[in-house]
Amino acid sequence: MIHDSLIRERLVTGDKTAADVTRDISRPILNQPSSAWKIGFTLSLVFLGIFGVSLFWTVWTGIGVWNINKSVMWGWDITNFVFWVGIGHAGTLISAVLLLFRQKWRMSINRSAEAMTIFAVVCAAMFPVFHMGRVWVGYWALPLPNAFGSLWVNFNSPLLWDVFAISTYFSVSLLFWYIGMIPDIATIRDKVKTKTAKFWYNFFSMGWTGSTRSWARYELVSLILAGISTLLVLSVHTIVSADFATSVIPGWHTTIFPPYFVAGAIFSGFGMVATLLVVARKVMNYENYITIGHLEAMTKIIMVTGTLVGIAYLTEFFIAWYSVVEYEQYAFINRATGPYWWAYWSMMSCNLIAPQVFWFKWARTTPWFIFIMSIVVNVGMWFERFVIIVTSLHRDYLPSSWVMYSGSLTEVGLFLGTFGIFFTCFFLFAKFLPVINMSEVKTILRNRE
Amino acid sequence: MSLLITANMSNNIKYWKGEEELNRDPQFLADQKREFGEALPLEQALSDEGFELNSNRRDFLKYFGFSVTAVALASCYKTNVRHAVPYLVKPEDVTPGVANYYRSTCGSCSVGCGVEVKVREGRPIKLDGSRDSVISKGGLCATGQASILSLYDTERLANPLMKNQEVQDWSTLDGEIKSKLAVMKATGKKVVLLSNSINSPSTLRAIASFKEAYTNVEHVGYDAVSYNGILDANEKDFGKRAIPHYRFDNAKAIVSFGADFLGTWISPVEFQADYAKHRRPDVEGGMSVHIQFESTLSMTGTNADHRFPMQASKELAYVGTLYNYLAKAKGLAQIPVPTNAELAGNSIEKAAKLLLKNAGKSLVISGSNNSEVQQVVNAVNMLLDNYSSTIDLVNHSNQFSGSDAGVQAAFEGLSKGTIAGVIFYGANPVFNHNKEWAAAIAKAKLSISFASTKDETAAVCQFVAPDNHFLESWSDAEPLKGIIHFTQPTIAPVFNTRQAQESLLNWAGSIPANENDPLADKGILSQKLEASPYYLFVRSYWEGVLGAAEFQKALEMGVAETTKNEGMVSYVGNVSALAASINKSSQAQGIDLVLYQSVGVREGSQGNNPWLFELPDPVSKVCWDNYVALPKQIAAKLGIDKDATVNIEANGVKYENVPAFVQPGQANNTVSLAVGFGHTHAGKVGGSIEKGFAPIGVNAYPFMNTTRDVVIGDVKITKGSEKYVLAQTQTHHSIEGRDLVRESTFTSWKKNPNAGNEKSAPHIYTIWEKAEYRKDGSPNHLWGMAIDLNACTGCGSCIVSCSIENNVPVVGRDEIRLRREMHWIRIDRYYSFVSEKESMTRENDIADADSADKGDYKHWENVSVIHQPMMCQHCAQAPCETVCPVLATSHSSEGLNQMTYNRCIGTKYCGNNCPYKVRRFNWFRYNDNDKFDFHFNNPLGKMVINPDVTVRTRGVMEKCSFCVQRIQEAKLKVKREGGNMKNVQVETACQRACPSNAIVFGDLHNPDSDISKLHRNERAFSVLDELNVQSSVKYMTKIRNTETI
Repeated sequence: MIHDSLIRERLVTGDKTAADVTRDISRPILNQPSSAWKIGFTLSLVFLGIFGVSLFWTVWTGIGVWNINKSVMWGWDITNFVFWVGIGHAGTLISAVLLLFRQKWRMSINRSAEAMTIFAVVCAAMFPVFHMGRVWVGYWALPLPNAFGSLWVNFNSPLLWDVFAISTYFSVSLLFWYIGMIPDIATIRDKVKTKTAKFWYNFFSMGWTGSTRSWARYELVSLILAGISTLLVLSVHTIVSADFATSVIPGWHTTIFPPYFVAGAIFSGFGMVATLLVVARKVMNYENYITIGHLEAMTKIIMVTGTLVGIAYLTEFFIAWYSVVEYEQYAFINRATGPYWWAYWSMMSCNLIAPQVFWFKWARTTPWFIFIMSIVVNVGMWFERFVIIVTSLHRDYLPSSWVMYSGSLTEVGLFLGTFGIFFTCFFLFAKFLPVINMSEVKTILRNRE
Repeated sequence: MSLLITANMSNNIKYWKGEEELNRDPQFLADQKREFGEALPLEQALSDEGFELNSNRRDFLKYFGFSVTAVALASCYKTNVRHAVPYLVKPEDVTPGVANYYRSTCGSCSVGCGVEVKVREGRPIKLDGSRDSVISKGGLCATGQASILSLYDTERLANPLMKNQEVQDWSTLDGEIKSKLAVMKATGKKVVLLSNSINSPSTLRAIASFKEAYTNVEHVGYDAVSYNGILDANEKDFGKRAIPHYRFDNAKAIVSFGADFLGTWISPVEFQADYAKHRRPDVEGGMSVHIQFESTLSMTGTNADHRFPMQASKELAYVGTLYNYLAKAKGLAQIPVPTNAELAGNSIEKAAKLLLKNAGKSLVISGSNNSEVQQVVNAVNMLLDNYSSTIDLVNHSNQFSGSDAGVQAAFEGLSKGTIAGVIFYGANPVFNHNKEWAAAIAKAKLSISFASTKDETAAVCQFVAPDNHFLESWSDAEPLKGIIHFTQPTIAPVFNTRQAQESLLNWAGSIPANENDPLADKGILSQKLEASPYYLFVRSYWEGVLGAAEFQKALEMGVAETTKNEGMVSYVGNVSALAASINKSSQAQGIDLVLYQSVGVREGSQGNNPWLFELPDPVSKVCWDNYVALPKQIAAKLGIDKDATVNIEANGVKYENVPAFVQPGQANNTVSLAVGFGHTHAGKVGGSIEKGFAPIGVNAYPFMNTTRDVVIGDVKITKGSEKYVLAQTQTHHSIEGRDLVRESTFTSWKKNPNAGNEKSAPHIYTIWEKAEYRKDGSPNHLWGMAIDLNACTGCGSCIVSCSIENNVPVVGRDEIRLRREMHWIRIDRYYSFVSEKESMTRENDIADADSADKGDYKHWENVSVIHQPMMCQHCAQAPCETVCPVLATSHSSEGLNQMTYNRCIGTKYCGNNCPYKVRRFNWFRYNDNDKFDFHFNNPLGKMVINPDVTVRTRGVMEKCSFCVQRIQEAKLKVKREGGNMKNVQVETACQRACPSNAIVFGDLHNPDSDISKLHRNERAFSVLDELNVQSSVKYMTKIRNTETI
């Protein structure tokens, strides 16, 4: 027996029944793809092609085709890496942390958020792999027993921590996503008609029968994975931030980085979820499942985390002043007033100032506005990483080595290309897998006769 | 059937495979205990009798399968066949892997520095200064260092040319030339042999015998950048047309008017070494004072204690003023001019006072090629009694002796047809004289060039008889009267070339005979080199002078001395006659163009040498181009800032869209342009119209008039329509008030040797114990370096030396624009703008001063400059080492920060985390890559590669290794031959090249070593000490002698 709250709005509107849910969610999988899907998918493939061409050119010729130089040795590449890893945070946060906190509104968005996480991590991984000068020996960064003598990896290096952090995060997220999907895959299995489809859905449903025992185990595994993932939400971006924080470069050498990066990651992750869901709920007719209430909840998180990173930006300035280290002070003054002031102020206005509009109810409940704001958030977060990486490196200790840097066409191509990877994966996901967790959503329906 | 039933019934099934088993045959039972019942024929097959086809089918298949797979795998890998041909007969002196060193003389210019040539397996791979040479004194300039690459230049002519056709056979060429010369001699037509300044006694004798054979030949010498001003002035004042030997080692007060004596003027390597002797505060007698008046900010100007900007065309007036101050003080007659010209702050008067205080040990010089200026300078030096100490005209210099009048006459004679034949030896007038030379040469009946490449002049000559590179030649030099340097070949001629002297002797028919020479069968290489006719010529001459045994010894040492002149020169000059000129000079108006030589490219004779173009200018840090250096005052008027071009017109020559560069320190109303650029026939690197390679920069020589004056008045400058980005290795020029370079004054230093370096070491709190290898008394070495900022002049010789030693690739203009130069050592140069109140080192302060300025931008004229060589600091706690995920960069137990190229995966984190930004990344494959079309992509250019150092592949990081290969070589030598490392001096390539001995390297665990003493010196400081990276390189606080005037 479910009691309708007097003050809370319903999580699923439209008086849906369980059968409605199954029908609605599995519709895109069972039917022919819509023309919107076809157009979107083709466009994604074009961007994927751009990625392929840019990557080929990079690996074939050498990373000299990028514009990084003797002082700024990381540019768009690592900016994009941190950007994508950050985006990847919302998925885990929504499914794991909100699961632990029993936030039921997460149920209709966690599936797509998790998918987004996985695809974003794939995009992110492209950059640390292909920024290597000799990518063909990149596996040396793994602690593999080898025949090269007594060669081993350097456990002091944050880059090695990255290898572990990202790979762990990716595997746990993938597992979490997949296990959460098993009951729904089984539902689809029972509905598809063709032999091939039956075979594959059957294979991936792992013989799910829906027995009480299965459900009990399913719940338990979800809970355990949620526990692990919660730690990962904090650890991954903490370790990514260690790439910078452990260095000696002014502007990088900062203890505030771990919480600040995690907050930023959640901020950008929710931004990306908002971007996707505002579109998806419209195009796929899921407005009853992904309600204005969901969007509103996400905008609140965006506002909070945006303010958090904003405070971090200001704290950095304070600490730089307080440190009395001239290099540190210069690094921050240079960020705000130096040759890259435009990047800094783009970051400030997108991340700190813009999200303050969500104090207003209208802004929180108007999908098209949320969509625009979500783009603004991600532009801002890309600039944040650019500011941290490039403005710190371009003017560090010795003024003789101060340089300017701007991305080459190949670097831009690689960045745009990762959107190709991301959306290609996402469109395939939307076509072949249920984007909303049917089994969980059924538990929060009002109409349960 | 019965068996089956039995089995079923007994429920104990027993199957058998054959009758033997069923019958329990004893042999079978025994066999069954072994793994393989039957004997394997494999061993038999492998033994000698194996191939008797008793191997069975399975074995056959095994062999077959294995061999096919092996063959398939082997044939899959396509590898280039490379031949390593061993010596059939090992030459006596060549041991593979061990270098030989030969003394010789640098031939890259006519200065004649003694050099030591490093030869590996018959290939000369490195030039360094000879310590026994009084000219080079152990150092060598960047130009000389780089000249080794001209030996391996693909543009060199492989064969002589006749009317642009290659001929294999010299005798064809000789026959043709001889007959033409004979005809000219018979008909009494004049032939001119036009050369650069020649101070080689044997070459002069060869020319003399050529002139004997052809009496119609006249020899004319000229220099691209002329010193006729000095020569003419000395002829007038002393009756001796020669350049004196300037003795900077005796000078305690130096006043230079625009002479870049540390960079390009006369004999810079010698002058640097001598100058540096008095530039350290702790030398006996204290520091010298150096005042520089100049319009271009030269490298010498950056080292001066006081530098005063001066409009170039007023130089005569200023030196006149200096004379008048001195004459007045001495109570002598002054030059009668209405008013004396003076510079801001009465600086000339101050200079005069300083000079008077140091009379007899002072030196006044001028870089002008105007003989009137030089006459006044002579008079000034006479007044100061400097001819006994700092200026030696008795034993003069032979380094430059060309005649501008002579070359002009030759040009006019050729144009008019009065001269019928011309031979060019070391001369390229089409490039470095006026533009009409090509037409004049075309009129000649006979034109021959000895150029080793098809340069601008050779391209219009009928015959090209390519000369050997100096490393393939026998010769000698007499740079100073009585000082002889020898040149000996260190490699057999790479191409079918012949020494020019030999050609001349051949045409003169006076080639020395080579029969019964006792040295003729010494070995393959020696035979070829010592059998050279010119060797016999040189030897017979010097054996006559020195004696046979002495000659051998002199050849080994590379130097010898002959008799010197005795006596005095007497001054007969009179400067009062110059009053009118001085007065006129003081009235000079308009904008001046000053032509100068850039350090590195110099006069431009090595037009195809990528190392020189990639060497950043010591002052502007611009590579790969020349540019019009503008003062801020003119730039502001034209509305020019960065990446702009100008149109420049002077003396009837006009260039459009020449790259412009706003040069701090450039005197107002003057602009400067470097000569030596703009080759049209240099080759793939330096530009070649024939082959479609764009010239590098513009050729500034045509601006010079017949007097070869480097100062040209009344220049028209307008803003160009195009944009141009100059390739610079340093683009930020102010130090932003940071404590990276420490400075003080000589007066403060005398009171407190810690002056300027008072900042105590940071308080370090550490939980870590000092590493074992760093503790005092630890048995290992601990390598360290010390760099004396007082001695470093910023010349960049170390940069080229390092690039050669460590196979550092050349990357070209576009890559430097992207800030990707590969040099392992760089020289950071910071300006500090001196305004009336204080010096400005922050860009914001400078911008504020600029916006407050009313148009004369005085603060841009008055700059103080510091040079700081920067290379890997080999930090004990290196930030680069901890961040590498694969341990590709690690620390050795001798304190070296090592780079393991093989292990590097190229994450570049080390480069980011280096606070000194000295790590260099291989963005591309720089070798065997035609996109980097310099010398690493052809077999000839690759001959210069140092076999002791890996050529790095694409995608790995590299950096200064403290020349670890040299350390290793020294250690191995001690291990092999015994002895003590304490007595072995390991020298890094940069240290070895430095003309002023600014760099010291050694073992910090040896408390008596120079390096340990320097690290303990009060002036020693580490850059960025507060980071506690514990660098192994210490710098000596720069002490300026600024409070003396």
